[in-house]
Amino acid sequence: MSYKLSVLIIEDEKNISSFICTTLTNQGYKVLKAATGKEGLSLLTSQCPDILLLDLGLPDMDGICLLKEVRTWSELPILVISARIQENEKVQALDMGADDYITKPFGTKELLARIRTAIRHSKRLNFDPKFVQKPYHALDLTIDFEKRRVLLKEKEIHLTAVEFKLVSLLAQQSGKVLTYDYIITQIWGPYADKNNRILRVNMANIRRKLEVNPAEPVYIFTEIGIGYRMIEDKLS
Amino acid sequence: MTKYRSCFSSPYFRNFFVTIFMLFAATASSFFFFHSVDSIQNISILYILSTVLTARFTVGYLPGILVSLAGVMSVNYLFTYPYNQINFTLSGYPVTFFGMLLISLITSASTSHMKKQGELLAKQEKILMEVEKEKVRANLLRAVSHDLRTPLTSMLGASSTYLENESFLSDSEKRRFVFQIYEDCNWLLNMVENLLTITRISGETAKVTKNLELVEEVISEAFFRLKKRFPEANISVKVPEEPILVPMDALLIEQVILNLLENALSHSHSSKAIECIVRKDTSNMYCDIIDYGSGIPEDQLDTIFDGCSHGQNESSDAKKGFGIGLSICKTIITAHQGRITARNHKEGAIITFQLPMEDIEDEL
Repeated sequence: MSYKLSVLIIEDEKNISSFICTTLTNQGYKVLKAATGKEGLSLLTSQCPDILLLDLGLPDMDGICLLKEVRTWSELPILVISARIQENEKVQALDMGADDYITKPFGTKELLARIRTAIRHSKRLNFDPKFVQKPYHALDLTIDFEKRRVLLKEKEIHLTAVEFKLVSLLAQQSGKVLTYDYIITQIWGPYADKNNRILRVNMANIRRKLEVNPAEPVYIFTEIGIGYRMIEDKLS
Repeated sequence: MTKYRSCFSSPYFRNFFVTIFMLFAATASSFFFFHSVDSIQNISILYILSTVLTARFTVGYLPGILVSLAGVMSVNYLFTYPYNQINFTLSGYPVTFFGMLLISLITSASTSHMKKQGELLAKQEKILMEVEKEKVRANLLRAVSHDLRTPLTSMLGASSTYLENESFLSDSEKRRFVFQIYEDCNWLLNMVENLLTITRISGETAKVTKNLELVEEVISEAFFRLKKRFPEANISVKVPEEPILVPMDALLIEQVILNLLENALSHSHSSKAIECIVRKDTSNMYCDIIDYGSGIPEDQLDTIFDGCSHGQNESSDAKKGFGIGLSICKTIITAHQGRITARNHKEGAIITFQLPMEDIEDEL
């Protein structure tokens, strides 16, 4: 019998917790549940699950604090569950080391997709060290990282150096949301001005080169207030 | 310490202080005039000026009147022959001084009166505003309760029918009921999110926190959220070649676009594409939502953004009244110092909202 990935859900609302549990069990995951931060931490340390689903609005402790603590000793994929208008909490969580977020209410498909993406990109569960260097394929787009070429429908697209760096960064972590701050730090360095205007303008230019309609993107999606997410690599 | 402070702000203290100051200022400048230019006409004018100013800056009629009297006395005692003596009997003096007194009293009383009127008007305006606010709040509550009740009733009906008849229903019928509940939930959720967005607009000042956002990004997110709820919706979005950055609260504007698109979908009664077109000029960004349907009834064009204006012939889905969604759009756009308008074109309706390109606050 193949190894089942285990998911720990730290969520105080029983209904949500049980619906996630049912969904994931049906998909072949082993599910652990905790309703408080304390309970969750103890399960984390004793059972060492493969993935963590963390609700930010816990009754006994701040979700962000729990996140910070977990990240001091573990690289496991963490998805935070939040409400729609909590942009600041989401960005904070992502910058503190969460891999992705999911907004209440969410559908099953979205949840499963995010979990799969988080697993793919997790250093701990990722067994293929050469994975990142394979060319990226999605719809009509191909990105060859080694040859530094971008092809759309077999035709080469010219991107500036910065634009190429941006697209590569997003493609190598495809499916995962990257915050504005993270992108700025990766592309322009840690001392760059955190005003993200230059990032937005670059993304607007990239969109005009890659997308048929920049207002209806199919490759790079904006998560307003948070960051960008690129469509998942076909080979996942 | 507080007693000392409140003493300063007490109106009596202020009256006293202003009165004494005015008299002193008038007397001092009069001395200056007297010794340098030697004309008593200016001196009378100075005292009359001081009565007007006293009346303007004090509360009540008394200080102004006191200064009038003191002024006449001072002019007679200090600045007219015989000097340093009160004498109203020299020829011409009674008329002059009586005239001066009369003018002082009238101007002082008029100024005090005007001031009182002004204060009364301000108070009345304040009360009117309070009443207006209460009305708006009551209207909103009424509209919300009304709009919420319909989908809730529908969900209750679908779920209870399912539960009571479970053994008799076919699988497809069961699915239909559950799907109904799912749709109603989505609709309710959207309504609640609409209402929550209002809380992002600070109550007293009706201001929003703006950040520079790319218009195309806000629109595309709204577009995706709408597609999730209405996968068959036929919508096309157009933005200009040049990327447009506008200061705004992205979440709120996204809600506006969602509401407008949904409104177009449910009211156009047509399957022709709905267009969302963005354009700009030097000072504003404009977004037009164009539908090719039945258009907006002429008599409702002016009031659709005021909320709860359910059409006369709305028999079926009461939840599809123009209701809250549009009035929330107006609230949000107004808080951004923008404008939103609706009009009909040959084949349907156009709703346009505009946002200033520059943060008006920044200009200052």
